[in-house]
Amino acid sequence: MKTRALFSLVLTNLRRNLRHMMLASVGVVVGICSFVFFLALGQGVRHTVATRIFPLEANRLEVVPRTAQLGAPSGRVLDQEAVEELGSLPGVRAAYPVMKLQFLATAALDGRSISPAAIELLSHMPGINPAMIEAVKNLRLWLEIMAEGIDPRLVQKDVVAGDFVDPPEGQPIPVLLSRRMVEIYNASFARERGLPRVSENVLAFLPSVSITLNHSFISRAVSGPSEERRMKIVGLSNYALMGGVSMPLETVKRLNRRFVGEEAARTYRAVILEVTDSSKLAPVQERVRALGFDIEMRERQLAESVGLLISVVTAGFSLISLVIVGLAALSIAHIFFMLIAERRAEIGLLRALGASRADIRALVLNEAALVGAAGGLAGVAVGLLLCTGLDFLLVRSLPDFPFKPDSFFLYPWWLVPLAVAFAVAFCLVGALLPARRAATLDPARAILGR
Amino acid sequence: MIRLNNVTRLYGEGTGGVRALDGVTLELPAGAFVTIVGTSGSGKTTLLNIIGGLDTSYSGEVEVDGWKLMELNDRGLSEYRRRTVGFVFQHFHLLEHFDSLHNVALPALFGNEDDASARRRAAELLEMVGLGDKLHRRPSELSGGQKQRVAIARALFHRPKILLADEPTGNLDTRTGGQIIELFEALNRQGLTVVVVTHEQFLFKHHSHFVRLEDGRIVESKQP
Repeated sequence: MKTRALFSLVLTNLRRNLRHMMLASVGVVVGICSFVFFLALGQGVRHTVATRIFPLEANRLEVVPRTAQLGAPSGRVLDQEAVEELGSLPGVRAAYPVMKLQFLATAALDGRSISPAAIELLSHMPGINPAMIEAVKNLRLWLEIMAEGIDPRLVQKDVVAGDFVDPPEGQPIPVLLSRRMVEIYNASFARERGLPRVSENVLAFLPSVSITLNHSFISRAVSGPSEERRMKIVGLSNYALMGGVSMPLETVKRLNRRFVGEEAARTYRAVILEVTDSSKLAPVQERVRALGFDIEMRERQLAESVGLLISVVTAGFSLISLVIVGLAALSIAHIFFMLIAERRAEIGLLRALGASRADIRALVLNEAALVGAAGGLAGVAVGLLLCTGLDFLLVRSLPDFPFKPDSFFLYPWWLVPLAVAFAVAFCLVGALLPARRAATLDPARAILGR
Repeated sequence: MIRLNNVTRLYGEGTGGVRALDGVTLELPAGAFVTIVGTSGSGKTTLLNIIGGLDTSYSGEVEVDGWKLMELNDRGLSEYRRRTVGFVFQHFHLLEHFDSLHNVALPALFGNEDDASARRRAAELLEMVGLGDKLHRRPSELSGGQKQRVAIARALFHRPKILLADEPTGNLDTRTGGQIIELFEALNRQGLTVVVVTHEQFLFKHHSHFVRLEDGRIVESKQP
């Protein structure tokens, strides 16, 4: 049978049996709608986890000194020689050393001491209101500060409010804050205390903060004179220290040398390796271990575990959706069996006019495929509407919480074709037996309606 | 040429089985007008279905216009039906949701004609059977005789060599039935082989061949 003729006959038959077909496709619509819903939700949650909670870059890994184990010698120290050696490994594009600030430091922010000029600047911050200005004026903050130095090349794209380089004496130290820490501050602390939220847009308006080097509120293990400096937040970065601040590497080296000694200025806490592409990760890891170092895997493993959990839950719900579509396929089978019984004489006539068994089979299967495609598209449309509506409600009505996404749903390009393909496939499976029965009807008997 | 050699068709098995056809041997020339008569259950329709390639569960040999039907697979039989035979049924079997034109052009679904030429051919055939003014009437808007004319036009669509009619006047009054027979005779005069199964023998006066079946056997066969 010619394709066009087949399609025309299929459409005519579907129009004739519109009520039955709509009934048959209800299950498909419901199943595909829930499939789209759960898959988009799973993708949305996974995206939030991957980009905001565990923002890992696939082509980077963190090298740390090997931990000493019982009976085994500890690994090598991460010094400049090691950094150069790691940087020259095959497949490594760059090596970015990270150095810990090896002495104690504190930060203090007293709202009363913020200059009127800074308060004036603050009042121009986007989203600021007078109550927030009052809250800032009443702020009393004393913190033990942890800090580390990172290679400015690693965080170049995160710096938005100044330069991230070792500053001349007397100038504020540029620091980067962890995005995750800021997220937690914004969604909990700032909201509770009526303080301004922190984002890249407002960094330029924030006043510098006092930092006291070689000082602690709680520890007596501080010797030597302390030194007052100021620090200025210049950006937010996924590479910044969680629960502390990150300074330019050269600044930390210089401060370690001054307050602890030369040795502290030569030893790195970690080295972040950037490989040429993610396929090089495994061989580079092997070489790194062979050199006597370890790979920091905790965050990656945690991210992978959470990702796996999301995948399993999404797969579970998607499976339930597919079971619904599967049940719909049974309904399709039932309705097609009924329609074929009703159309026996017509099938017999088509056979008498020259239709082969394959033509009849194709006719039934194409009707089912079209029901599947229409049901699938309707299911996708309803699903997308549901997702959009619910997303709107959730984003608007749920209070802020850490890592609250801008959208709970994500719609990858393959979602619609996959959903429609599933609908068509299940309907085809449902129609297989009816199609076989229709094709094998004895035309001589069928034409008599027997 | 239609040739059947020792054709037997059984329905059911064992002692409960029925011999619808029992060793039928028959030879009909091309261009003949054949009337097959018999009582209900005598095997007339079974014989017609076997000649038409709709029934393949028989023993014996059937050859129609050079096609050895027992050697054909489903695809071959479909092609045979498409090229060689046209069917006319007692109950017309018109598709209610199509108008006359589309009903007549239905065989085009399985042929190679494009839509425009199929419609043109269907219109010509409807004109030929006297329904040129009813191209877009649906079956429910036609009388019994008109429906049967549409069915005849449909059977002629792909220019068959043999027209097989199963009780074509069974649902028509005598006058209308007579008009349908006149149409068959006219088609036969143009060279079409016509095989009519009927129990209304009196309507078919001008047949060239006559076959009477009883209990699946030929009990009378006349040739001009």
